[in-house]
Amino acid sequence: MTPGSNPRPGADDRLRRLLAIVPWVVGQDGPAIDEVCVRFEITHDQLLADLDLLFLCGVYPFTPDTLMEVLVEDGRVWIRYADFFARPLRLTPEEGLFLVASGATLMAATGADDDGALARGIAKLAGVLGIEPGESIEIDLGRASPEVLATLRGAVGDRRQVEIDYYTYGRDERTRRVVEPHAVFTAEGEWYLSAWCTLAQAQRRFRVDRIRGITMLDRRFEAPGHSEGPIVFEPRDDDPRMVIDLAPGARWVVEQYPTEQVEELDDGFLRATLAVGERAWLERLLLRLGPSAKVVDGAPSLARDAAHRVLRRYERRDGSRPAER
Amino acid sequence: MAVQERLERLLNLTAALLTATRPLTAAEIAERVPGYPDPETSRGAFRRAFERDKEALRDMGVPLVLGLVDGTDPPVEGYRIPPENYQLRDPGLEPDELAALHLATMAVRMEGLRGAGAMWKLGGAPDSAGGTPVAHLTATPALGVLFEALARRSPVAFSYRGEQRRLDPYRLSYARGHWYLEGWDHGREAERRFRLDRIEGDIDVDEGRRFEQPPSQPSSRPQPWEMGEETPVRALVRIDADQAGWAVDQLGSDRVERRLDDGSVEVAITVTNREGFRSFVLGFLEHAEVLSPDELRGDLIEWLEAIAGEAS
Repeated sequence: MTPGSNPRPGADDRLRRLLAIVPWVVGQDGPAIDEVCVRFEITHDQLLADLDLLFLCGVYPFTPDTLMEVLVEDGRVWIRYADFFARPLRLTPEEGLFLVASGATLMAATGADDDGALARGIAKLAGVLGIEPGESIEIDLGRASPEVLATLRGAVGDRRQVEIDYYTYGRDERTRRVVEPHAVFTAEGEWYLSAWCTLAQAQRRFRVDRIRGITMLDRRFEAPGHSEGPIVFEPRDDDPRMVIDLAPGARWVVEQYPTEQVEELDDGFLRATLAVGERAWLERLLLRLGPSAKVVDGAPSLARDAAHRVLRRYERRDGSRPAER
Repeated sequence: MAVQERLERLLNLTAALLTATRPLTAAEIAERVPGYPDPETSRGAFRRAFERDKEALRDMGVPLVLGLVDGTDPPVEGYRIPPENYQLRDPGLEPDELAALHLATMAVRMEGLRGAGAMWKLGGAPDSAGGTPVAHLTATPALGVLFEALARRSPVAFSYRGEQRRLDPYRLSYARGHWYLEGWDHGREAERRFRLDRIEGDIDVDEGRRFEQPPSQPSSRPQPWEMGEETPVRALVRIDADQAGWAVDQLGSDRVERRLDDGSVEVAITVTNREGFRSFVLGFLEHAEVLSPDELRGDLIEWLEAIAGEAS
């Protein structure tokens, strides 16, 4: 949300914006009020209310020549006697980071040109902020095939169906399905496709790096009626719940995965309740954790069974060692 | 106090402190800025109002400087805003560069980072282009502090996994959904990286010092099995056909030793972190197998047997 969308901004928000509007208007020759509104994401009424206030502002002793002067005429605005506000306030570190990181992210997301307007803009900002462009901030958005991304973006733009060969990590299986791509985005370090899945007859999110093959179809679809939020994993109410005790070395699990409940036990152990969407996902987690995790409630034999299954692969040749080597 | 009146007072306070050539005392501020309670008659009310305004200005990044007022005895403290610290240096953005930056801020969401006013300071959004966000990045409050330290070349100190670390911050990097801080670790005398959300407590910035940053060697992002200092071991792993394509995408085709007729591949990996390696292999469940060396193959079997043999 931008502060501009706040219908009743407080004094602090209005000050923040005014300290940017005044220098900009001062530097122009009577810009159109409408343009000021667009640039600074402010309504006409709010802008006029804020401008009214400037008449009362200036410096001691508040004689006419030390008060700011605002002239509104024919839909244009002039501000004078505001030398002390001739330049905008410097960027805060958070704002500087936001600009540079947004730029670097969009460059990484679209593979933008190194000599393009965005790269040049970032380089100029970096100069003002005192950082090295491309050195101080590095953005890795996750791996995805550029061809798959390009096809998906094309399909989103043209509202065309695609058929994908998709590997479902949670169930460890592959399926072919026809989907209607709504949005391609990156979140939490991975690329996602949000689409209507005709196989599941439901809105689904797909990891782009698990799309093993893609074909653009001729069939078109209607524009989706809603936009997608940023949440990536939403446990469903009917997902089974599992309670695991985690040793101190496995505390990262509760940072990494959404937990429903976390309880501190003795000696740094944690008892966590997780919503488990898919079996294979949990198998992987438990195999990785090994002795650091103990299933207290849920599926007590899951890890053991999975371990047996993987071990069978080793038993086939164990003792003889990889024969062909 | 009504919003309108407070805004007026804040604007006048900012103007007064920006034009002051020496620090202004509280009494002078009360005299020169309309809208404050009279400090003569209600000292407490004036102080509270002024403290609140100072807080608001500092919060939005206004550099309020406290200093001694010349010629006062006993010494009296006062405030001013040095214009050179207040003003944004003009980056000289061309219209197309400003438009591109605006597009970037619309396309990228960084939840929790207060950056929304940034475009205004650059002259505002040149158009009302909306658009769907294409990237969501997490953000943590430490980012602002570290970005500032990085720009000033100031060393930082913080606690990480119960240990105090001192670091020359070189860069902030975002990978796998997390922010990392990379830099020269004074204790380890080597470059190290730290996950921001695992830093414990506050970060101390040593503003009095400046470090020299060596020219960068572009670092390749380490994989989990490379993030350690164990003796390097070259491991050979077979990955089944179904998973092979994805695995090669992740590892890079230069790690492929052999492609078999059934579509499976054998990849060679240099391991310096056995735990990271084990997690990587187990991620494939029964679709991958450590072929060599015996040591790593044995480790994995032993690990699985411990899980398999556990009494229910």
